[in-house]
Amino acid sequence: MHPPPAAAPQQHQPAAAGGWIWLLEQSRLWLHSDGQRWAFVARTLLASYCALWLAFRLGLDAPYTALATSVILALPHSGMVLEKAFHRFLGTLVGCAAALLLVALLPQSPVLLFAGLALWVGLCTSGAAMQRNQQSYSFVLAGYTACMIAVPALDAPAQVFTLAVTRVTEVGVGILCAAVIHDVVFPRRHAHNVLRTAQSRYNSFIHFCTQVLEQRLTPAETELTHLKFAADIAALESGRAAAFFEAGDGRARTRQLHAFNAAFMTVLTTFHTLHRLIHRLHGAAPQHAQVVLALVQPLHAHLALAMADTLSAPRLQAMRSALAQDIGAARYQLQQLATQRPIARAQQIDFDTTVELLERYVRDLADFSTIYHALTQDGGQQASDPGTYAPKTPGGIVLASGARAATTVLLAATAWYWLAWPQFGNAIVIATIFCALASSSPRPTALIRQVLIGFMLAAPLAFITEFFMLVHADDFATLVLASLPVLGLGAYLLSGQRWAGVGIGICMFCATLLVPGNLMHYDVEGFINSEVALILGVLLAYLMFAVVLPEHTMGQRDHVAGALWREARRTCSAPLLHLKRRYDNRVRDLLSQLNAAAGPAPDSAVRAIVRQALTLLELGHAIIALRQFLAHAPDSTACTALQQLLLQLARYLRTPDADQAAAALQATLDTGTAVRAQLAHAGAAQQRALQATLPELHAIYTTLQDQLSTGALRHAA
Amino acid sequence: MPREIEFFGVFFPGVLPVFLVSMLLQGLLDHALSHLGAYRHSWHPALARLCLFIGIFSTLLITLYQ
Repeated sequence: MHPPPAAAPQQHQPAAAGGWIWLLEQSRLWLHSDGQRWAFVARTLLASYCALWLAFRLGLDAPYTALATSVILALPHSGMVLEKAFHRFLGTLVGCAAALLLVALLPQSPVLLFAGLALWVGLCTSGAAMQRNQQSYSFVLAGYTACMIAVPALDAPAQVFTLAVTRVTEVGVGILCAAVIHDVVFPRRHAHNVLRTAQSRYNSFIHFCTQVLEQRLTPAETELTHLKFAADIAALESGRAAAFFEAGDGRARTRQLHAFNAAFMTVLTTFHTLHRLIHRLHGAAPQHAQVVLALVQPLHAHLALAMADTLSAPRLQAMRSALAQDIGAARYQLQQLATQRPIARAQQIDFDTTVELLERYVRDLADFSTIYHALTQDGGQQASDPGTYAPKTPGGIVLASGARAATTVLLAATAWYWLAWPQFGNAIVIATIFCALASSSPRPTALIRQVLIGFMLAAPLAFITEFFMLVHADDFATLVLASLPVLGLGAYLLSGQRWAGVGIGICMFCATLLVPGNLMHYDVEGFINSEVALILGVLLAYLMFAVVLPEHTMGQRDHVAGALWREARRTCSAPLLHLKRRYDNRVRDLLSQLNAAAGPAPDSAVRAIVRQALTLLELGHAIIALRQFLAHAPDSTACTALQQLLLQLARYLRTPDADQAAAALQATLDTGTAVRAQLAHAGAAQQRALQATLPELHAIYTTLQDQLSTGALRHAA
Repeated sequence: MPREIEFFGVFFPGVLPVFLVSMLLQGLLDHALSHLGAYRHSWHPALARLCLFIGIFSTLLITLYQ
């Protein structure tokens, strides 16, 4: 029996088509997951060999620097590569200039030269700890480039200028190749990512607000969300900095993204104050809170409902007018209630503050949402730039990282001298590099351990590559073939999250040691000597982090807690210009460091610091608002009372104990009485200004009360 | 234009300053174009940017080294 011939293709056709569809689907999936990694590996290798070829072609003295540079610049997104390239070039220039200056000043005295070098490296590493992202890398590089130039120049000071020029040229060649290849060949653009981050942040914030207004979150969840938002703010800022270098509209969006971050911080702080007020009302005595809650709860429900839709401009307008109506109705109800039975003063204050905060929240939300919609629409209106992001690192950590790097240089130099081991010069440089690089990581020992593993793995691989494969290479193509496997392995590991440190280790090791020089020479003894010296260098950096000030790492929570109090103290005395934005930025930056160090599951101690930070944020904002009011207000009894209050608050923030808190609490009550007394007989304009200080006073009063009742004072440093 | 420029005993190729100048020019042009939103109409903005640079650099070289 044979099937009819016409039926066969018809039966096979769907199967074949299905097979095609399956294959297409699979390749699409692969392209979006593993394909991206392999594209990255291909870009990295292409850039590396282009740089190497160009360096050979130009006859540069040490072509491996170009190779190492293009490997170091390999990052997944083109914007990141360009940003790092830019900062690497700046850092190299500054580092070379510093090395020239040091060698020119102290050519005959190596001891002094090393002391100067240690000082310079220490300064640069401290500077790196104060900056974020690639600016920080720039500082790191300025430090260790000086080391790289000055160490070989010890024996031949006359050569130092040539060394510096060669270094700049080679780094320049590596940078050019890496920048062009990563930007042009199948680039992954960062600008899309940044927009997507902004979108998801906006959505999660709206979701968070709705949940809080409907009272579906525990305090612990709220604190964690705030911590995550702080990390998001820092991440968006670093993404913005990278997208700035990409072709396209990243540069035009810079201002909008600044405005987006600033508006987000403002609305987050307002909402936190509102949230704490609601939370406290729920915890207060029922006969006091029930009246107020019954009045404001419908307002919250309406807001939550209104926020479920897309917040376009007309909807926001409708939301504001609905809120105004609701508030009017609630006020009327309160008056009706007051005719039946007297309303306590505290209840009146709570009601007024809630209403004021709700109005402020809706206003801030409208700003935030307008900026967001302008950002997501192409060619949207330009926002005014509120200024750059101001990071903050606790002072102790800045000093410690500088001191650690300087000690490393001195120790390595001493070891070099006593061991009389020529190749150990490389170890000084490697130890300095990793000491400086790891300073900005929350877990430096883990990072260096990965690099160490990478070095250990690379040592035998590099040996095999050099003496069994490279010896047979007689032109550039065979050289590429011989070194491809080990560099490819490094680049592949580099592309993942988990083993990136090992990848860096393998790539750096091979790029430094395989040294395809212009005139190849094979020296087994020298090669093994260099291998051991490089591994010892990383080991030294590891030991330094384990032994010298091991607790002084980025985001260490005691340092963050201390820095938070110091920042709050600054709000009482620092100049008012941009103070609010800087304070917002710095507190959020400290929180994001805390988040990076705490890992995926922060414990209760971390949560306590977040709570403290949020309270201090509220207190600081109230202080700044009062100072802004005082700067414009004419002299009066209320102003004198406010000034007294600010002095007392400054005293409290300097020595945060129970006595000072009680005194500040009393001062707040007195000020409230004075302001209310003046409010009764003030002009219309002044009345509005005075009215606005009342929620601030209320915020100060409640934060102080919280501090006293929860015993959070012991976290103060 | 001289083929080589001496700087403290080190000879630099004369192309280097031209390269730097064209980078500067390209930076200015790039800034203006991204503000005008011109890159939105391009298929591969990074490639367009690179081609602009090569154009500027070549024009300068041809006019200066005739």
